[in-house]
Formats: sequence, C-alpha cells, structure tokens
Amino acid sequence: MIEFKDVNLVYPNGTQGLKNINVKINDGEFVVIVGLSGAGKSTFIRSINRLVTPTSGSLLVDNEDILKFRGKDLRKLRTKTGMIFQNYNLVKRSNVLKNVLAGRLGHTGTLRSIFNLYKKEDVSLAYESLKRVHIDEKIYNRADELSGGQQQRVSIARVLTQQPKYILADEPVASLDPPTSHQVMNYLRKINKEDKITTLVNLHFIDMAMEYADRIIGMRAGEVVFDGPVSEVTEKTFEEIYGRAIREDDLRGGAEQA
Amino acid sequence: MANLTLPPKPKNSLYKKTKTIIILILVAALYVWTFLSIDIDWARAMERAANNFHRVIPRLFDPDWSAMGDVSDKMFETVLIAFAGSVMAAILSIPLAFLAAKNMMGIFSVIGKWILSAIRAFPDIILAVLFVVAVGPTAFAGVLAIAIGSCGMLGKMFSEIIEQIDMDIVQAMQANGANRIQILFTAVFPQIIPEFLSYAIYRFEVDIRASSILGIVGAGGIGTMISFASSNRNWNEMGMILLAIIIVVSVIDFASAKIRSKIV
Repeated sequence: MIEFKDVNLVYPNGTQGLKNINVKINDGEFVVIVGLSGAGKSTFIRSINRLVTPTSGSLLVDNEDILKFRGKDLRKLRTKTGMIFQNYNLVKRSNVLKNVLAGRLGHTGTLRSIFNLYKKEDVSLAYESLKRVHIDEKIYNRADELSGGQQQRVSIARVLTQQPKYILADEPVASLDPPTSHQVMNYLRKINKEDKITTLVNLHFIDMAMEYADRIIGMRAGEVVFDGPVSEVTEKTFEEIYGRAIREDDLRGGAEQA
Repeated sequence: MANLTLPPKPKNSLYKKTKTIIILILVAALYVWTFLSIDIDWARAMERAANNFHRVIPRLFDPDWSAMGDVSDKMFETVLIAFAGSVMAAILSIPLAFLAAKNMMGIFSVIGKWILSAIRAFPDIILAVLFVVAVGPTAFAGVLAIAIGSCGMLGKMFSEIIEQIDMDIVQAMQANGANRIQILFTAVFPQIIPEFLSYAIYRFEVDIRASSILGIVGAGGIGTMISFASSNRNWNEMGMILLAIIIVVSVIDFASAKIRSKIV
C-alpha cells in the first residue's frame, strides 16, 4: 500500500511540483495518472521510488515513511518498485539478456554483478520474462538494434525480472505509435492482473486511460483534482482536469488495431 | 529555369565584412613581422643548402642496409616503449578521468581538471629528460615519459567521454535498486569502453612517433641511433633509420585506423 499524507514538493527553483497530496493506493490496483505536461504526474510517480524527494509531509510505502530513507533502505525500496521510462533507458550497446538481468541488480551481490555471474534462477527468470512479452527471440541482439516498441517490451521484461511489488511507468507509450502503445499497455495490464503487481502509469491520452485504468487520478498544477474509479469518469471530468476542452491530440486512437 | 525561387541571401552586414578584413590584415601583419624579426641570412642559408645538398640528400636515399639488424632491434624497442607507455597511460588516466568528470564528481571535478592540465603542461621531451635523470638513461625512462605525457591527454579525452554518457540509463539502474559500484559497471562502463579503447589506440599511434625521438635525450629506443648518426654525419645510416620509422609508423597508422573503425 502506498499512502501520500500532505505531501508537498518544492523544487530548488521555487516551482511547486506537488501540492498537498493525500492519496492512498491499494495493493493490486491499476491506477492511471492523467494531466497535462507539467501537471506533476512525473513528480508524483518519481516520489514513490525517491528519484525526487518531497520537501514535506509523509509518504508511506508498506507502512514505512520512505522520505527519511537513505543508502541501504533506499536501495531496498527501489528493489521493490520497478520503473518503466518513456525513453526505455536500456544500455544500448549491451544485449537484451544483459539489459533484462540488470533488473536483478538490487537482489544480486556487487561482485557477482560485476563479473556477470548471475544465478541460474535469475537467468531463467530473465528468459521467462522475455517470453512473457514475446521478445525472447531477440535475446542476444544489441538493444539498439530493436525498434521502440521492442525496446519498451525489453524494459517491461527488465521490470518483471526485478519481481517488484509496485510498477511505476512514466509515460511508457509517449514515444510509440498507436498499435505499439496498445500492445505495451496490454502487457502492463496483464502483468498487473496475473502477478498482482500494483501498477501506476502516467499517461496524457484520455482514451487509453479510460480503456486500461481501474482508477484515475487527475492532476493539475501539482494538485490532485480528481480521484475515482474509471466508471465515474466522463469527458467532463477530463475537461475539468485539463482546464480546457478536449482536443484531437489528447487521444491516442487505434484501439481496434491492438 | 525561369521561375526558380532562391533562398534569400544571408545578411552580411558591413560590420561583419570589415571585421573579416581587419582580422585578415592583422594575421598577415603578424606573419610578416615574425619573418622579419627572426633575421634569416637568406644568402648564407641558400649557400649552405647548395653545398650540403649533394652530401646529405642522396645518401639518405641510399640507406645503409648493413645497419638493418641494429636499426630493427632499436625500432622494435621503440614500439615496445610506446606500447608499455600507452598501456600505463590508459590505466592511469581512468581514475583521473573519473575525478575530472563533472557528472561523476560535481564541483570536485575541478581538482581533476587541474591535475590533468598540470600534467599536459610538460612536453614529452622534458619529461624524458627528467626521467633520465631520475631512473638513468634506459628504456624505462622512455616508458615513464610516454606514460605520464599521454595520461594528461587521455585523461582529458576520457573525462569528456564520461561527461557525454546518457545519465537516464544511470537513473534507470538507480531505480532498479543498484548500488554505486553496480551502476558503474552496468550503466557507465558499457557506454564508455569502446570510445576509451579507440582513443587509447590512437594515442599509441602518437606515442610511436614520440618515442622515436625520446632516445635523443637518452631515454632508449631508436632516437639514440638518430642522435649518433647525425653527430657522425653518417647519412646512409640515417636513411636506414628514417626508412624504418616511416614503415613502422605507416603500418601502425593503418592497423590502428582499421581497429578503431571496428570498435565504435
């Protein structure tokens, strides 16, 4: 369970990234956070694994206040929160298997990882993860030989290999075309249901949020302006979140092709 | 042909034009002034060149093949000095490069940059003189001179490579729960190793040339023979030495270019 209690984050340049956030994410939920760029979606999600640090309030992950974590505690927290990025962030010159095994780093001793001596179970887990996202035939290809969609699937496999309790996905489909976007969202959704991994996804496409989310959190200017199950959401809700009428480019489209 | 739409001409203001002209005049003036002030006695220079030409140049083109054994021994030593020196430099410069990289050390990187600049301030030949005094007139002095001389430049190059890596990948590894050493090995090294190797090989190429002359101050290698041949006016032997240097340098240049194009 993740719980934000009066969380604020002010960046050194004075920008208020988060403003009085009070949100509770229950185990197993698939939450989509929507909002315009600059609304604080990224800051929200990155607070949970402390890539950014809120300046006040408390943030509980499994009933521990993570805002005080440093060093070892912090690495333990990050080991149970896997992250997926907009730009995949794979090591381009390394092969797919090596990239996926990097998901085990938090569970692996320093010496073993330096000499690439991952345990047999880890290698098998990595291969299973690649199979689950159907990219196992590329196992020995260099990451930079793959297309964007394939790279994002490798990064999903990396997160699966990490066996996290939470998955944080920061705009995972923003660099992909519509069919590939749906493919990636379908995998995330499937993993959420099959492995019971709590998943938080940042999106700015309204139709995708509606299609995949259990619950939607709307953000504007660092504040949560909507929080509720997807059944309560209408086009009007989005107009309130975005503070303007809905436009063509707020939709990803292409659902029927997936 | 008639209705081609051409892009508008760039706006070359009068200010820009006069600036260019003034700079050209200044450079020309500097050049003329330098030549006038070094006071060359052209007549004497011509005369000397004319007198010595037939005694030196033809003999350079008639190498003393009997010296081939000695020359190839010494040339081999030169290559070994360059190799040992470059390897030592490549290893030494890695920690210095990390120390000088802003994205690794923050503001402390200034210290690393100072150290590297200080090292680069010494010409190879001066380092060779210093090491000949310190460890005696042997090839080891040459190796040390090359190692220290090269690690200044390699360290700077390496630190620039480190500063250009994709920090998002570092962040991705942090988000996996990796510790600093794991991040170094899994996210930083794969991004820098090919470029590092490429620069190290290029530097080896430069070091072969450098180590050919270090022997002039007694630091081993073929330079010792150059120094003897020129003081004995033994131009046939000098021809042999030059031939050996030209062949080895060309071969290494060619091989290094091939290897480097494969790496990156």
